[in-house]
Amino acid sequence: MNSDNSNTDIIFKAINKSYQKGDSTVVVHNDFNLTIKSGEFVALMGPSGLGKSTLLHLMGGLDKPTQGEIYIGHQRIDNLSQKQLTQWRADNIGFVFQSHHLLPVLSAQGNVELPLALTPLNQKQRKQHASMALQLVNMSERANHYPKELSGGQEQRVAIARAIVSDPQILLCDEPTGNLDRKTADEILALLAKLNSDSGKTIVMVTHDIKAADYATRVIDLESYLLAKNKEQPENKALALDNVLVGKSA
Amino acid sequence: MNLWLLVWRNSLRKKIRFGLTCLSVMVAFFLFTTLAGVNHALTASVSNINQYRLITSHKISLTRSLPINYQQKIATLHGVEQVTFASWFGGFYQNEKNQLAVTAVDHTSYFELFDEYHIPEQQLASWKKARTGIIIGHAIAKEYGWRVGDKVPLSSSIWMNKNGSFSWEFVVSGIYQSTKTAGDNNKIFFQHAYFDKGRAYASHSISWLSTKIAVHENVEQVIKSIDDLFAHSNSPTRTTTEQVFIKEQAQQFVDMAMVINIVVIAVFFTLLLIVCNTMIQTSRERLNESAMMKALGFSSSALIRGIYCESLLLIGIGAALGTVLASVLLVYVKQGFGDFLPGIYITSAHYITVLSLVNIAAAFCSFFPAITINGIAISETLGGKS
Repeated sequence: MNSDNSNTDIIFKAINKSYQKGDSTVVVHNDFNLTIKSGEFVALMGPSGLGKSTLLHLMGGLDKPTQGEIYIGHQRIDNLSQKQLTQWRADNIGFVFQSHHLLPVLSAQGNVELPLALTPLNQKQRKQHASMALQLVNMSERANHYPKELSGGQEQRVAIARAIVSDPQILLCDEPTGNLDRKTADEILALLAKLNSDSGKTIVMVTHDIKAADYATRVIDLESYLLAKNKEQPENKALALDNVLVGKSA
Repeated sequence: MNLWLLVWRNSLRKKIRFGLTCLSVMVAFFLFTTLAGVNHALTASVSNINQYRLITSHKISLTRSLPINYQQKIATLHGVEQVTFASWFGGFYQNEKNQLAVTAVDHTSYFELFDEYHIPEQQLASWKKARTGIIIGHAIAKEYGWRVGDKVPLSSSIWMNKNGSFSWEFVVSGIYQSTKTAGDNNKIFFQHAYFDKGRAYASHSISWLSTKIAVHENVEQVIKSIDDLFAHSNSPTRTTTEQVFIKEQAQQFVDMAMVINIVVIAVFFTLLLIVCNTMIQTSRERLNESAMMKALGFSSSALIRGIYCESLLLIGIGAALGTVLASVLLVYVKQGFGDFLPGIYITSAHYITVLSLVNIAAAFCSFFPAITINGIAISETLGGKS
């Protein structure tokens, strides 16, 4: 669907997102604007409950906004059908979640090969691609191990390999280091930074880990953004989020 | 890794649950196939029968006799090609535990009308000449070791002979082999003339008449004309096709087909609930994995196909085991009891029915998981909202 791979800018235009909770409506985002350029490694930070994961899910087409427009490259995705979104995700997005959600019945190799079942690649090619992805995350030696035989960090590495195996331009990571110790978390963050710098992948990472700022090229503090927005524009008018950077790694 | 491997591994994820569910499916299909084999034996005798043959008996009961001259009267009716008659002897060999189906038949016409009994010409000719001769089924010959020329005393629990004895002397004149698939090779026939002269009472009477009517003749019309002919006599008749007659006799004991249908329906309903419950549990346990696969780009229909394949595998393995086991069992039953219950047989139509049932059951058992999978909200299932 997104044939222009060079442009994977993520653009949110006047996004509203609300949920129905019983009789009341919970507004998560109101008139939210954001632009993430191709090749950026953005860390989306802030306290719980501000809608960081919701933003990530909207970017990945896992959820739809109540109002507003979302563009990924030249493709508007908020008006796509579920079927179109499914195909679009397979072609363009890689996901890494806090809980890796690896299939316990498949080896690391099998788990990484899984997204390739949706491609026209033959079995041999799928195997080769999966091996390369595992090599990129330094998990070649554990290719035949099952998830229960891997440590938390190793499982997350396999999940990253699975996310990049079909070579998507965008990686969306939801608390990828949330369940890991400091050392392993640093390894995972370094790996993501490497994928960003070496392969030019756009990475958006939701995290509570303050150390993530050391690896991301841009850090967006959602709390500061919302405070600034309320202060400067009490009528809740749109505010370009690009101006609310609170930190940037060297 | 391919998706079939995933289906296989997912199926075997909970081995005990898979095994037990498979076992329940196996038992269901074992029962289904076994009963189908027995049902075939019970119905084959009916379906094998020439539909242009009629049976005429006393209107009140089969135990009441009819005058022997009814044969000539029926023979004159329009559409009738041939008429023969027979009487039930009710015999046994040596003691009453060895019950035998012995029938006195008109030796001049019976085997012309019932041409499914294959008797060597020479033996048939010699039987027609020998007053005390009997034609026996090859199963009887095999069981008792009787050969042509052997003298065989048979007793009747109904008919006393003129000597005041219930024991009758016979000589084996021939051995028949039924040419029908589920043919009965357990009968014994002897000459009605010998029976009529030998019995102490009720001579010139018969138990029933068999009438062969012309092909394409209106069966109902001939039946009516036979019964109308004797409607005002001392012995009014009831005529049916041979198929209906045998079916009615079988149904006097039990409507086996109905019992089988009820059992099969009950078993399958239980089976569906068990497998359905298993598949619902399975899909709920894997909600996160299904959501992740959807996030990766797998469509709902692809995941539903996976669940269908798992159901198919589970039910298919159980059904295959049950059907094969029952088929093997029926082979042994046929070897042991085939002479007494001929026609135990699994038709190819039954295997097609099994295949269809497996597919229908798999589709049914995938229905509820499909609703669950289709309704998965990926964002809520995988991450929640921060």
